[in-house]
Amino acid sequence: MNRRQKTLISTLLAALLLTGVIACGLLLGDERITTNLEARNASPSLAHPFGTDWLGRDMFVRTVKGLTVSMGVGVTAAAASTAVALTLGMLAATLGKAVDAAVSWLIDLFLGVPHLVALILISFALGGGMKGVVAGIALTHWPSLARVIRAEVMQLRSAEFVQISRRLGKSRWWVASRHMLPHLIPQLFIGFVLLFPHAILHEASISFLGFGLPPHQPAIGIILSESMRYLTTGMWWLAFFPGLSLLVIVRAFDVLGDNLRMLADPHRAHQ
Amino acid sequence: MCKKWLFISMLSLLTFSLLLLTGCAPAKNQGSAAEAAHRKDELVLAIGYEPEDGFDPTTGWGRYGSPLFQSTLLKRGNNLEIVDDLATGYEVSDDGLVWTVHLRDDVKFSDGQPLTAEDVVYTYETASKSGSVLDLGVMKRAEATDPYTVKFTLHHPQSTFVNVLAATGIVPKHAHGEDYAKKPIGSGPYKLVQWDVGQQLIVEANPEYYGPKSTFTKLTFLFLNEDAAFAAAKAGEVDMAFVLPTVARQEVPGMHLVAVDSVDNRGILFPTVGSGGTTKDGAPIGNDVTADIAIRKAINLAVDRQKLVDGILEGFGTPAYSVADGMPWWNPDTVMEDGDVEGARKILEEAGWKDTDGDGILEKGSLKAEFTLIYPADDETRQSLAIAVADMLKPLGINMKVEGKSWDDIEHMMHANAVLFGWGSYDPLEMYNLYSSKTAGVGWYNTGFYANPAVDEYMEKALAATSEEEALGYWKKAQWDGKTGFSAKGDAPWAWLVNRQHLYLVRDGLDIGKPKIQPHGHGWPITDNIVEWSWKE
Repeated sequence: MNRRQKTLISTLLAALLLTGVIACGLLLGDERITTNLEARNASPSLAHPFGTDWLGRDMFVRTVKGLTVSMGVGVTAAAASTAVALTLGMLAATLGKAVDAAVSWLIDLFLGVPHLVALILISFALGGGMKGVVAGIALTHWPSLARVIRAEVMQLRSAEFVQISRRLGKSRWWVASRHMLPHLIPQLFIGFVLLFPHAILHEASISFLGFGLPPHQPAIGIILSESMRYLTTGMWWLAFFPGLSLLVIVRAFDVLGDNLRMLADPHRAHQ
Repeated sequence: MCKKWLFISMLSLLTFSLLLLTGCAPAKNQGSAAEAAHRKDELVLAIGYEPEDGFDPTTGWGRYGSPLFQSTLLKRGNNLEIVDDLATGYEVSDDGLVWTVHLRDDVKFSDGQPLTAEDVVYTYETASKSGSVLDLGVMKRAEATDPYTVKFTLHHPQSTFVNVLAATGIVPKHAHGEDYAKKPIGSGPYKLVQWDVGQQLIVEANPEYYGPKSTFTKLTFLFLNEDAAFAAAKAGEVDMAFVLPTVARQEVPGMHLVAVDSVDNRGILFPTVGSGGTTKDGAPIGNDVTADIAIRKAINLAVDRQKLVDGILEGFGTPAYSVADGMPWWNPDTVMEDGDVEGARKILEEAGWKDTDGDGILEKGSLKAEFTLIYPADDETRQSLAIAVADMLKPLGINMKVEGKSWDDIEHMMHANAVLFGWGSYDPLEMYNLYSSKTAGVGWYNTGFYANPAVDEYMEKALAATSEEEALGYWKKAQWDGKTGFSAKGDAPWAWLVNRQHLYLVRDGLDIGKPKIQPHGHGWPITDNIVEWSWKE
């Protein structure tokens, strides 16, 4: 088996895992996490593979649902972030020096502020909740991708086919949409996939800190922060399984993104 | 030269820190021995949150009684009966408008100045002007008729004024300035030595205190949250710590658990009027689903309160059926059989609620049995209660959606949604405020706009009563008189769920006497009987 095949297989596995989790999260009904005060604080067993929490809710179902919510947040936020990055990157590279300077300054500004701080500020200003978290992540995660896109567009601008189109009198918009965009799609896609684990982790961390999703929503960050209170009582399963699942999911996305980049890279195609 | 100095100072710093390091290890081992030496008359307590506004009774400190630094005219005895403190007695005029209180003549503030009627008048006048949580709106004026007699004149008769007398610590007129809240002077059992904001409060026994002397000359209050207090208790650093039910079952060597009953209750408030109105601030009023008495009664009947106590409070609590369980003005008839899903179903059926579209949620005409229950998002117990109750109501066909909000949001939403509130006070006036049509929509009171003329009448009579027994009778009738009332048997504007027990880990050997039923607010009220505390041999 060559390296390319290995990459393909691991990509497929990661994708399968992710779709599996999402499917489970959507298919399992809410009745699976109703409280059952008679089966509280149960350690992992066959009936409850991840144990139950202090209200007798099944932790496996909660974890899966939490991951689904997190991934939902991740997809929306990463997509929005990618859109911001694309717009700003293109603007910077096509609209001349002044715009370029402004956008570069903005990128530097956002890179200069620690992610989490900006994220908490934005999310808090928008009143928390799903809306706040998505907007917060979308508005803080675009700079590095915007930089990549800007560089790419700069390069494309001097390409011969672009030059010719210009000379032929095509509008900037025409050039951007017909020539530039198709060239940017692989970068965009990979950027999106790589943003994803970042977005999930940040969603989890600000929900953990209490600035994110409302506390009864089964998001991973919330499950983890709730479980903190019970660690001293020896209920390790409350934090262990959800934490591990988050790690696995994030890693799966990482693998997916890395592999896609490798597969899309023409220089590596021969390996 | 400069370098040499630097070198020397570095060296000395190093030696010093080494000394510190080596000094640390044995010091820890000696800790318990040192503790034993000084523990006879000192206590370290981690039992409550820091009062943000300081210790000024005229702005609300000690409103549940036991102000620690100050003393009150009257106080509540061990069975919650009213007994004299600074007062030697009081009389109420026949029309209930004039209250005359006679003072002890031997009381001094901790700075040595005598406490006279002037100070009492000053305290009440100041408090009524401060517009704080202390409600002195009923007081027309206070005047000193002689150095040890105070006459209060009220706007209208109010029997609960006695509770104001029992909850307002007296401040000295001569030493009540801007920074009084930070440096209180009073006639209470203790005086303040040092307050490190955010960390600790150190108090010393007040040598001028007229009451029985406490065994403890020095108390240190550490301001820790429950988790940190538990950790401190485990480390043996405190003599007493307040803890959450979740950790209370754990054994902590050298400590034992004291569970104190309380009226610190949790319950669900329902809007009792239909939707459509708005408050002056533009907040929506009313909810069509909870305005239906059948829904409210069914919920009251279906909730299994004992299960909530066992499941969420870990057994450290009691089922609550009213806002004042166990208080002298509580009507024991309000207790009912609950957890009765079938009975609740019948009530709903009779009222015309049916699941017509088969989605598991009842309908009545175009109305769906669906409403939102909001709770303060940072309160874990209330969150658990909200979720558990919502799940208990699902089999009934009532869909109660649960949402955590900040207090600011709740203030805007509380007139149109069910809210998980907590109350519990030594003053029946609280009951009046929660259920009277006069207080509908006033502040945090009666946000459900509940109104029942019969209840109003009983409560007005209770306020106008000139003796406590007479008042108590009316308070009880307002809850349930056999036909109507504001309890779950009557109009059921609330579904009370549980009374918490306040939990303290106490060092073995420390006797904290018999604490009274505690009011809302974990912590400070436990110090109420601090003069009774002692070490058992």
